[in-house]
Amino acid sequence: MKKKALGILLTAAMMATMVAGCGGGSDTPATTPADTTPAESTPAESTPAESTPAETTPADGEGLAYTGTLTLMHYSTSEESQGNGSSDGIRTMIAEWKEANSGVTLEENVMSNDDYKTQIATLAAADDLPDVFMLQGMNTAAWADQGLIMDLTDVIANSPDSANYDTNLFGPFTTADGKIYALPTVSGGTCTVVMYDKRVWGDEFPSTWADVEAKAADIAAAGQTPIAFGNGGQWNANSDFLSCLGDRYTGEDWFWSLVNKEGAAFTDAEFVAALAEMQRLFVDTDLFNADFNSVTNEDAREYYISGDAAAFIGGNWDVSYVGATLKEAGDELYENTGFAVLPQSADATHQRNSQNGGFGYGVALNAKLADDPDKLAAAIDLAYKLSGADFANYVASNYALGGLVKVSDVDFSAFDAWDVDFYNFSYVDNPTCPIYDSFINSAVWNVLNADMQAMLNGSMTPEDVAANAQAAYESNY
Amino acid sequence: MLQAIKPKKRVVFAYLAIPTILFIFAVFVPLITALVNSFYEWKSGPNKTFNGLTNYITLMHDSTFWLSFRHNLFLVAVCIIGQIGIAFILVLMINSRLVKLKGIHRTFGFFPSTIAAVSIGFIWKMVYDYNRGILNWFLGVIGREDLQQVWLSNEKLVMLLVAIPLVWQWIGYYMVIILSAISSIDTEIFEVAELDGANAVQRAIYIVLPLIKNTLLVCVTLCIAGNMKAFDNIYVMTSGGPGKASMVMAMYGYNVSFAENNLGYGSTISVGIFVMSLLVIGGSQWIIGLLTKDKEA
Repeated sequence: MKKKALGILLTAAMMATMVAGCGGGSDTPATTPADTTPAESTPAESTPAESTPAETTPADGEGLAYTGTLTLMHYSTSEESQGNGSSDGIRTMIAEWKEANSGVTLEENVMSNDDYKTQIATLAAADDLPDVFMLQGMNTAAWADQGLIMDLTDVIANSPDSANYDTNLFGPFTTADGKIYALPTVSGGTCTVVMYDKRVWGDEFPSTWADVEAKAADIAAAGQTPIAFGNGGQWNANSDFLSCLGDRYTGEDWFWSLVNKEGAAFTDAEFVAALAEMQRLFVDTDLFNADFNSVTNEDAREYYISGDAAAFIGGNWDVSYVGATLKEAGDELYENTGFAVLPQSADATHQRNSQNGGFGYGVALNAKLADDPDKLAAAIDLAYKLSGADFANYVASNYALGGLVKVSDVDFSAFDAWDVDFYNFSYVDNPTCPIYDSFINSAVWNVLNADMQAMLNGSMTPEDVAANAQAAYESNY
Repeated sequence: MLQAIKPKKRVVFAYLAIPTILFIFAVFVPLITALVNSFYEWKSGPNKTFNGLTNYITLMHDSTFWLSFRHNLFLVAVCIIGQIGIAFILVLMINSRLVKLKGIHRTFGFFPSTIAAVSIGFIWKMVYDYNRGILNWFLGVIGREDLQQVWLSNEKLVMLLVAIPLVWQWIGYYMVIILSAISSIDTEIFEVAELDGANAVQRAIYIVLPLIKNTLLVCVTLCIAGNMKAFDNIYVMTSGGPGKASMVMAMYGYNVSFAENNLGYGSTISVGIFVMSLLVIGGSQWIIGLLTKDKEA
């Protein structure tokens, strides 16, 4: 009898752990919001009393009628927000919004960007998107088409900040029929920037590849890698190089024609020429670190920080990391780093100082919110907060970054040369061109990225890479 | 007395029900759902449209899938020789009277198989690292700088390079299995053989091998099944690159499903992996069956 009781007890315990194990992975609000929210340690430092939403308090102040739960998914983790202005901005805005709207229980689901991309796509496929989330430009058309995301055209027109929006930034989130589906946020800026050591390269980075190659020979002879690059993740060669280099060869119109399916093709001679130039730079010259195809951008930027390399090509996220690291270490390289656009190639005929910039993500709303006007109002209020004037002012005054809302009088007095230089590089001095993978879709880019890695290894021709990309484009877009 | 301890039938079933339900939930349900989804076009959103056998026709002509399949077969071949072969030799060495501290050898041999595959991937990525890796360092020390290279960018070698960590990781696992099989052989047989003048190699080939044949067959099946689903360490080390030079089936399925948001075709690839794995395992058992039959005849 005793044994039987013990058996039942053990079985019950086992079942309980199993059930608990299953429950952990689901995103249903089985656990209390008090448990889920601070687990990610939402800037408790800034809002000590309010980090746990008091779910029972009725709406106050702002006058939101909604008092239930609102789900939010994003990738501004607390680790990421150290030194990264946009992540910090997002987290600060969320904390402020929660404080102002204690009647709404904001349930956050935060993860790293890599995990985020996979999870949000899986949730979209399961028709289970959160109420408010970050939409990547290239998913806009497909998700709008399937009725997953809400048309925000009117919401944007009625926004208190609408007069000050930089309307160019809506591009990736606008469908062919002119409807806009997200409010661009997580201030982005450039995806292709050359960071260089002025003590090695001189005050100005060479503006043509021919000059770079001439100078690089001396640098290599002195035992330093001229330029560090990391394409281990396969996307880097596209986002941080081709997207800019391609624009120099094809011009912007070609890309818009590709996006709008108006006749341009990956196999067009100009684009193939860009691929060929890229192959030449990576295979035939010794400009880059030998292991560029097997290390990630995180590894490659360490080559620059440690002084093994005299320059590094990456995106704005690398700039913020390198800057924070060098500054913390008190390294002289911090004062001696310059920012330059990708050098121009001899046979490229288009704009010579373009850099691919823009906002890769925007705040989007679940289309299902239309069923509950009060909840929708709360979600719109949150979306305004995450992309509006407060956010723009915060990232401008703390990090010298631009937002969707134009901030005209940025006070630079508190910043050092690094921040001011990069602000000017990103928003003032150089025209922007589109970031390729903010448009079209991942099925196309995945094929191109994998083939391009083989091409940069010298085992595939630019023509074959272009042909495969075109085939993927035709069957998936 | 025995009757008293024997539990009632329903108690036995109740206990067995727990793992069975878990197994059905974790294995059969996804398998059936994947089979159903493989007949649909299901891309980046909840809308699915039935498209019959289109996905399967695409799969038949998908060069990347078949390339990945060949890579999996390569892994299987390397691992059968590397894991089971080396494990067998190591077990014979440990069993020899000359070796001291047998327990320590066994424990340390088994050690790598307790490490998560992702960590194994990171460890070996460091071994192969161009600037700071121990492999290039060693080549420098012995004066063979000419052989130093970016190992994981070498498309001809990369499959072998990602297979080596798998071999290293699982040798200990097969060692334990083979060791237990050998320890069940009557020691008198060895003594008699030794008296008859059989040396160590002869004892291994003519006594040990035939007597642990069935255990080795289990090992081979486990090895094939394990390598047909290889994913983690390759994902960490190369993500299938450079290009597709180290792409394996499971990674291709993952890429199509989650990176390209094509869950319908991703399901088709999963079914493809299942079918191909069954064929390879069935085929290998058939071949082994034929070979062993000949010997007995």
